[in-house]
Amino acid sequence: MYPTQLRSTDIAAKPSLVAELMERQWAPCRYNCPVHADVRAYLEHIAQGHWREAIDTIRRHLPFAAVCGRVCHHPCEANCRRRDVDSAVAIRELKRFVAELQGSQGATVQRSARQDGPAVAIVGGGPSGLAAALELAKGGYRPTVFERFGRAGGIPATAIPEYRLPRSVVQVDVDWICAHGVELITGVAVGKDTTIEQLRKEGFKAVLIATGLSSGRGLAIPGAPREGVLGALEFLTDLGLGRRPAIGRDVLVIGGGNVAVDAARSALRLGAAGVRMMCLETREEMPAFEWEQREAEEEGITFIHRRGPAEAIAANGRVVGIKARKVTRVFDENKRFDPRYDDDDLIEVACDTLLIAIGQAADYGFLAGSAVQLDVRGRLNYNAATCQTGVPEVFACGEIVTPPGSVVEACASGQRAARAMDMYLSGRPVVLDDSLPPFIGQIPPETGEKVRKVVRQPVSAQPPEVRRTNLQEVDHNYAESAALREARRCMSCGAGAEVLIDKCAACLTCLRVCPFGIPVVTDVARIDSDRCQSCGICIAECPANAIVSRSREAGWIVRRTVAALEKTRGDGLRIVAYLCGHIATAGQWRGEEPLADGLVEMYLPSLSALGTLDILKAFESGADAVLVVTPQDSAERYPQAVRRLRKRVAQARSLLKDIGLKKSRIQLFELTRPTRQAVGEALLAAAQELRGGAIKPIGASR
Amino acid sequence: MTEPISRLQAALEAGRFVVTGEIGPPKGTHVEPCLHEAEKYLKDTVTGVNVTDLQTAVMRVGSLAISRLLLERGIEPIFQMVCRDRNRLALQSDLLSAYVLGIRNVLALTGDHVALGDHRQAKSVFDLDSVGLLAAMTRLESGHDMGVDAKGNPNTLDGSPSFFKGCCVTPCAEDLEMQVIKLEKKVAAGAQFVQTQAVYDPAAFEKFVGKIAHLKVPVLVGIVLLKSAGMAKYMNASVPGVTVPDPLIQRLVDASKDDREKVSVEICGELIRAMKGLCRGAHLMTLGWDHCVPAIIQAAGLA
Amino acid sequence: MIVGERKPMDEILAMLEPFGRVLVLACGGCVTVCLTGGEKQADELASQLRLAARRKGRQLTVDVDCITRQCDREFVANLKCNPADYDAVLSIACGVGVGFMSELFPAKPFLPGLNTTFYGACTANGIWQEYCYGCGDCVLAWTGGICPIARCSKSLINGACGGTNQGKCEVSRDMDCAWHVIYERLEAAGRLDELRKIRPPRDWRLDRSGGLRRLTHQELVDEEAGK
Repeated sequence: MYPTQLRSTDIAAKPSLVAELMERQWAPCRYNCPVHADVRAYLEHIAQGHWREAIDTIRRHLPFAAVCGRVCHHPCEANCRRRDVDSAVAIRELKRFVAELQGSQGATVQRSARQDGPAVAIVGGGPSGLAAALELAKGGYRPTVFERFGRAGGIPATAIPEYRLPRSVVQVDVDWICAHGVELITGVAVGKDTTIEQLRKEGFKAVLIATGLSSGRGLAIPGAPREGVLGALEFLTDLGLGRRPAIGRDVLVIGGGNVAVDAARSALRLGAAGVRMMCLETREEMPAFEWEQREAEEEGITFIHRRGPAEAIAANGRVVGIKARKVTRVFDENKRFDPRYDDDDLIEVACDTLLIAIGQAADYGFLAGSAVQLDVRGRLNYNAATCQTGVPEVFACGEIVTPPGSVVEACASGQRAARAMDMYLSGRPVVLDDSLPPFIGQIPPETGEKVRKVVRQPVSAQPPEVRRTNLQEVDHNYAESAALREARRCMSCGAGAEVLIDKCAACLTCLRVCPFGIPVVTDVARIDSDRCQSCGICIAECPANAIVSRSREAGWIVRRTVAALEKTRGDGLRIVAYLCGHIATAGQWRGEEPLADGLVEMYLPSLSALGTLDILKAFESGADAVLVVTPQDSAERYPQAVRRLRKRVAQARSLLKDIGLKKSRIQLFELTRPTRQAVGEALLAAAQELRGGAIKPIGASR
Repeated sequence: MTEPISRLQAALEAGRFVVTGEIGPPKGTHVEPCLHEAEKYLKDTVTGVNVTDLQTAVMRVGSLAISRLLLERGIEPIFQMVCRDRNRLALQSDLLSAYVLGIRNVLALTGDHVALGDHRQAKSVFDLDSVGLLAAMTRLESGHDMGVDAKGNPNTLDGSPSFFKGCCVTPCAEDLEMQVIKLEKKVAAGAQFVQTQAVYDPAAFEKFVGKIAHLKVPVLVGIVLLKSAGMAKYMNASVPGVTVPDPLIQRLVDASKDDREKVSVEICGELIRAMKGLCRGAHLMTLGWDHCVPAIIQAAGLA
Repeated sequence: MIVGERKPMDEILAMLEPFGRVLVLACGGCVTVCLTGGEKQADELASQLRLAARRKGRQLTVDVDCITRQCDREFVANLKCNPADYDAVLSIACGVGVGFMSELFPAKPFLPGLNTTFYGACTANGIWQEYCYGCGDCVLAWTGGICPIARCSKSLINGACGGTNQGKCEVSRDMDCAWHVIYERLEAAGRLDELRKIRPPRDWRLDRSGGLRRLTHQELVDEEAGK
């Protein structure tokens, strides 16, 4: 529970504080995302069909939006609080949907107005290097990325197979990044074609090493011949660069990580008759993503667990099999990698190709001709606190200095290094603040069980027997309707109610109206952000105006209504309809698919936020009639929301009657089947009746 | 033991079965008709006549005036006083006035709420309740009033009154014990006789009488003349603690228009006969049918 | 807690007839708790007033403000709107607030937007009921906690009158007979003896009949101050 100490005087002193409330406590998806993307915000944009705003929100923190939409290991989903209700929101799939829909052209490029800062050289055009380059470009610097391969993107562009990540998707991100003023030079290997010293002489004021782990770690297997034994990473890179590496029919992949699985599944697609994987770990211990393991198994790949290669068996200079010894343990008591074997327990496994995927290693060739040193362990001399190597103007980021990680982790590392470089180049001491706001805790079971269950939208995939034969994408993208439905499963954690403790009169109304029973009232009301479902009911009911929404400024419905009414023309009746956005299409949200002529359609994420005062003020703002359209109670997003709405409509009618305005000016439609057609018909019929009847315009409003 | 100060008191102390009647003052100044009725039908038939005090909160001529006018015609009044309309100053003053005008029997009542009457916007007083009013009477009798002088000493009266003090009770109420407790308090405050709300069930009355045996006050059982079946049903529905049994209602239903009065009188007489042995008298509330009183007395075998 | 109800709209509109600039002043105390006079209710009233004025083609500016309480002068410092800038202030505090604020701003008409009705408690969601009369001489000790002055229509003190009907008051079937409830409560507690005692007539000096009442805590009284 996050302690609430907000006062109305705080907001009066600093009006921007309301917008900052969301920054005080993060939803766990955002907290656990390495780049801390504002997941809640972009899911809300997607739910409302605002694709551009969604992708811009994502890209504000995540340059590799399209890539991550395919391959991210989604720590956001792993920590999504909806897991404890029904299942996590499919955040990665939604990111994919909007990133690929918008492409690089459909995302706003926020070029710096001036790009006249110092030039910075970045060695390596992978995720960490390009993420750093983007930050530097936005900060007014002039970054140049040197990439040794013919295309940028790093491992995603070379070693992740097409069926997982098409090249075109990687290009979307690379193009968008470069559009910010990042110079990209491909086909240049630093350490060979040029050196760090050279670059410094050419005028680059700082250098960032972002070369990653581009080599596969070798494994010296006794008796290994030259033919038929390949490094898995090199195999994948060859394949990724458009070559067709030669493999046999009976492939054995040594290793249990994602590279091993990628290699195995790629080998299958290259025509291997049988592909097996052999690893030290049990199924549960395997580091490869669970979904990768499953898909591999569906495609017919089998696993040999708890075995390590002891000796290769060769014939005619080619491998024909290996002897594998039993693994008694992989990790020691401290969970460190320290395998033990039983050399007396040997099996023979036949194969004609061995793909070694036991880890990645750095290629330090780029160090040639530079003053940068390696430490005693043979790794780059590096200070994690400042991202600097032993040479002050040479920084490092990405897997060359961090533990092996995913694309998003690489981006985070690159962004951090860029901040460090900015401080350095501005002459300031490099002091990085890695602190994070607190995060919202797990949803308590008694609240979780009251949340309406909605099944996660499934992702359809190519059937295994088809997909194993080609390199086409395995998982299909969401259709728009599925994306809307899935995005609307987001519970908006942390976007909910915040009590202004100086105004709260402890009247208990919020406690009495909350469908989840969340407020606790002692001296004042306190609303636990671990529980609040952001329905907005208490905010609309509070008699003291003492509850604000963390995510929406007070009066937002009225402001939108005023803006919409200002666009209406003519002398006829002005009718405003408030509709539940949960049942609306993206086009309706964007105003591109009006349901009926001459009606102002206002879509709200949930009608539970529509208060009596909002309805009244619609009239004050120029409406002559207000129609409210909701699905039935059972389909409404929050329990008892429709009942609450009925009471508010009744109250608003009574307040109108007080001043001589007919009750029929406010109508509530509860639809059992709220299809577009049904909604449109209901609105049209109501509008016609109002126009033909005794309802007159209320009089000049401005 | 002092001399009885009224005919009513004397009759009760002599052990005779006493019958009392009741009239309601008119809403206006034409008092002659009700006085004439009293003279014609009640003067020689009943021992005393209750004069209601703005009953059901309907504005009428005051019971003080009518009581005095009855006295002038040789009829003994029982002056009813409610607590709804006057504070303790006015109540004590009216008691002194009543005594000075020759009135001796006083029935202390709480009084119906203004909401029941025709002046619903009026302010209710209820400075005293029925217990307090009885206590006030007792105090006046002792030569003092309820107030104090400048030094804080009780006021002394220049001449003190003497009353035969009565109160009322609902024998057939649901919460009988609550009624009994209150009656105990009324007696302790000075009540010397009791007139009950209407009773139509002798068995229930017997039960009640058993519960108040320890109080040793004479009880006059109240009977409201059932003028019609409709009236009986209304009382069942609306008057608390009054229940007219179905057989009685049926008799009224079965009676022809001409016979209705006769049946009413019969019923009344039977009831008195049935309950005679349980109490010391009957209080007849005839609601304008005062002309029936002689017949009722006959029917009850009291003539 | 003090409970009040909004005055009928025509009465309010009639009160505001002579004025063109009105401040609706809410109170963060009791009237917020009973959902009649809080800032939200002030917003709603202001909206109604503007709409009503518009319908009549009348010029009316209505602003809204709210202070913690209108019965303590220090809270006036928190006013964001200055009463001096308005023709009249429509206060939706209880009568105490209206009266008190009126004294602080003697030059400005302070109009009551509410009818203050009773001291009460919330017996169920949305329902408040009268519990106390402010009689100044609390007898709840011997009535089992049920106030006969507030909840008996006749404020009797020696038990029910003859009008009690099936536990309900003769005034209305909706009202419990307070003495019936007291009787049951005391009976259940084995304390019926309290009912047997004759309670002398009340000292109405402690009630408002004695004139304007006042509470003084001498330890806080500032002798130098005029008041």
